[in-house]
Amino acid sequence: MSDLSTTTKSVPQSAREPGEPKARMMNDKKKDLIQKFAALASLLLLVAVFAMTSDAFLTVNNGMTIALQVTSIAYLGIGATCVIITGGIDLSVGSVLALAGVVAALAVKAGVPVPLGMGLGVLVGAFCGLLNGLCVTRLKLPPFIATLGMMLVARGIALQITGARAVSGLGESFGELGNGALFRIVTIGDDGFPNVVFPGIPYPVILMVVAAIGVAVMLSRTTLGRHIYAVGSNAEAARLSGVNVARVTLITYILSGSLAGLTGCVLMSRLVTAQPNEGVMYELDAIASAVIGGTSLIGGVGTISGTAIGAFVIGILRNGLNMNGVSAFTQQIIIGLVILLTVWIDQMRNRR
Amino acid sequence: MPPLTAERASSQHHATEPGAEVLRLTNVTKSFPGVRALDEVCFDLRRGEVHAVCGENGAGKSTLMKIISGQYQPDGGAIRYKGADTRFANSLEAERAGIAIIHQELNLIPHLSVAENIYLAREPKRGWFVDRAALRRNAQACLDRLGVDIRPDASVKSLSVAQCQMVEIAKALSLNAEILIMDEPTSSLTESETALLFQVIHELKREGVGIVYISHRLDEMAAIVDRVTVLRDGRYVSTHDFAATTVDEIVARMVGRSLEEKFPERTSTPTADVLLSASGLTRKGVFHDVGFELRRGEILGFAGLMGAGRTEVARAIFGADPLDGGTIRLGERTITVRSPRDAIDHGIAYLSEDRKSHGLAVKMSVVQNLTLASMDSVSNRFGFIDFAAEAKAAKTYIDLLSIRTPSPHQIAKLLSGGNQQKIVIGKWLFRQSRILFFDEPTRGIDVGAKFAIYQLLDRLAAQGIGVVLISSELPEILGLTDRVAVFHEGRITAVLNTRDTSQEDIMHYASGHSRPHASGAATP
Ligand SMILES: Nc1ncnc2c1ncn2[C@@H]1O[C@H](COP(=O)(O)OP(=O)(O)OP(=O)(O)O)[C@@H](O)[C@H]1O
Ligand SMILES: [Mg+2]
Repeated sequence: MSDLSTTTKSVPQSAREPGEPKARMMNDKKKDLIQKFAALASLLLLVAVFAMTSDAFLTVNNGMTIALQVTSIAYLGIGATCVIITGGIDLSVGSVLALAGVVAALAVKAGVPVPLGMGLGVLVGAFCGLLNGLCVTRLKLPPFIATLGMMLVARGIALQITGARAVSGLGESFGELGNGALFRIVTIGDDGFPNVVFPGIPYPVILMVVAAIGVAVMLSRTTLGRHIYAVGSNAEAARLSGVNVARVTLITYILSGSLAGLTGCVLMSRLVTAQPNEGVMYELDAIASAVIGGTSLIGGVGTISGTAIGAFVIGILRNGLNMNGVSAFTQQIIIGLVILLTVWIDQMRNRR
Repeated sequence: MPPLTAERASSQHHATEPGAEVLRLTNVTKSFPGVRALDEVCFDLRRGEVHAVCGENGAGKSTLMKIISGQYQPDGGAIRYKGADTRFANSLEAERAGIAIIHQELNLIPHLSVAENIYLAREPKRGWFVDRAALRRNAQACLDRLGVDIRPDASVKSLSVAQCQMVEIAKALSLNAEILIMDEPTSSLTESETALLFQVIHELKREGVGIVYISHRLDEMAAIVDRVTVLRDGRYVSTHDFAATTVDEIVARMVGRSLEEKFPERTSTPTADVLLSASGLTRKGVFHDVGFELRRGEILGFAGLMGAGRTEVARAIFGADPLDGGTIRLGERTITVRSPRDAIDHGIAYLSEDRKSHGLAVKMSVVQNLTLASMDSVSNRFGFIDFAAEAKAAKTYIDLLSIRTPSPHQIAKLLSGGNQQKIVIGKWLFRQSRILFFDEPTRGIDVGAKFAIYQLLDRLAAQGIGVVLISSELPEILGLTDRVAVFHEGRITAVLNTRDTSQEDIMHYASGHSRPHASGAATP
């Protein structure tokens, strides 16, 4: 079957003025590009505004602080993006990260080496994700309900096993992951105090970049990624095209859970104490970062680059507002309005 | 453009008389990114007439209808409705003004009942509450008017595509509109439901309703159509009285040249070896003890009335629905199929009749849809996609099926209905399976492209592939298949050699008889 179409080829497209549609298409591409970078542009605008209102904002140190603060939103946002693309939602990550961090800390306290303990934390996260996924794919529970259940269960277990108390006295090596950095240059000054020449790249930031690139490549360049979009776009059509919908869905929840586990380890490591109350409402930041970045809650649409921008928008807003002395309550109001605004703009764009 | 000045003058006096002009569009233009869908199109409609709009896939028919019914705003041109210049801001406004539309794609809400769908957003109320008895009664009346056997409180999820189509029609009828637009209402209907619909259309004509009718089944038009307008490539070609023209002429105007044949000559004959055999297939309450053989190089038709179980059997063999009993053999080997994935791995493909909910990943691009069932052949063993190979495959099928799209990366749902259908066909052709179950493959496809698809199926059969063609169009079954299995209420009542049978024979078995009728030729 090669050139059958020639026998029935319809009226050639040349019936139209040749130059015009092309010009139109170029124009559209440009428009699309501009819209795609609308989020990025507003991010830059935010940076510019805060740079003017606060001297301390645009410094290397504050940059590091922001990057560090953004990491946890970003880890969770990356997982949330994958789940949301399939048409699901994961409300449990805030609790799962607390459980994972607490388990890691208790393990370390019990004598397990730190890397193993943290690995165990990530595994606990993955296991919670697996349970979420099984509830959704096997028991056919709505994702909202399944992960809401996990949100309560995981938080409950974290409080239970710690007796609702922080786990501290974990030793310096437990803080390495959250506070260490690559390429940090420290000289000992004349006065005997250490002098930081270059703060280095914090490990959490490196992990964030690795996770973002890894998942972005997975989504855009592999069959698994293609299948994730297909499931969100039309699960039944995907199934009838041979996509293992249950497996693909399960994988996204496991990914989300694992990243929540990682977030837990990093956060607790930064404080060198494990708080069973850590991470409350973090799931909302994660979902917000995905949504600001253009992920559609109906499924089928979303990118990691968008989510990364979304995470930075939230992080920079928080940081900049803090530096300008805006109260925590006002911050909430502003961030809420930003979410509404960006999603509204996004919908306007899709409607046209 | 037909000269209508005389009528227009008189229409101001007798605006509600049958024959009076009710709608006129002049030089309507509409562009989408990368596509000029309508370019200075003119159209007019009179009360009590059926005005057909013909054109190839992507010619702009549905776009024109969406402009009339307020869903799209034109970029340019004028719309005159009942003698006044009009611009509807949305479809609700048009509906209130008396314009109803049956869309090409089904738009029912699956988890609501038939009655709730028909009266969606206009439920009969008693005080603050929905009057459920009235809702049921009114819906029943609508369905009765169409003469279909669908319960008003059946869930839409449980209906076949053809039944959903009838519900859509009932819904449009319930609006008592002055203009009724029907965009391919019969594309999934068998002859008997089409006849029911035509009866209603005749009634509506007598009541003075103006009807716009779009269909790629040109032969059925003679029964109802008064005038026909042809569009080509978004441009107005001509308007004629239907009686003063012929289907061949219409086709010639649509595609810009004449088409002599409707079906290609079959170039091969089936071999004796059996590719796939099914026996005793049963799914409780759906089909019973279904058995048939598909031979290498054969095109086997599945004929039957709406709800006879043809689609259901194909879906069960493909692993889309569970089977309660029966065996499926590939050659000598018995296979078990638990999921579509299993079936695909065994070389079986199933093209669904319902492209919108079961065929297309609507938010994905043309390329991504074309390769969705064959990702393994455009990726390496680590699962990384080979984008060059993918683009090449997409180009092959876009050209082969002449899919009209501004770019391979266009989102599938933005293509015209017929072009979406071509994507689904391309998806399964690219998979290169050995056994194809094609369920209404030419639904919504224009005459020229249909011929190309028939040729493709013939070519595939000549290569030794087995094709099961499920079709509600009997001419298609008669023109293309080697044998026909006729279904009635979940059983196969006869398997006939196509060459020795006739439309009457098939209808005879389809209505439940298991022996040849007296006058018809007996078939072995
Ligand atoms: N919302 C949209 N966005 C972009 N392009 C569109 C949109 N709607 C229609 N088009 C394009 O406009 C052209 C005309 O489409 P239309 O649906 O009117 O065709 P049609 O005549 O109804 O074809 P068919 O017989 O296949 O239903 C097509 O090329 C289609 O791709
Ligand atoms: Mg159409």
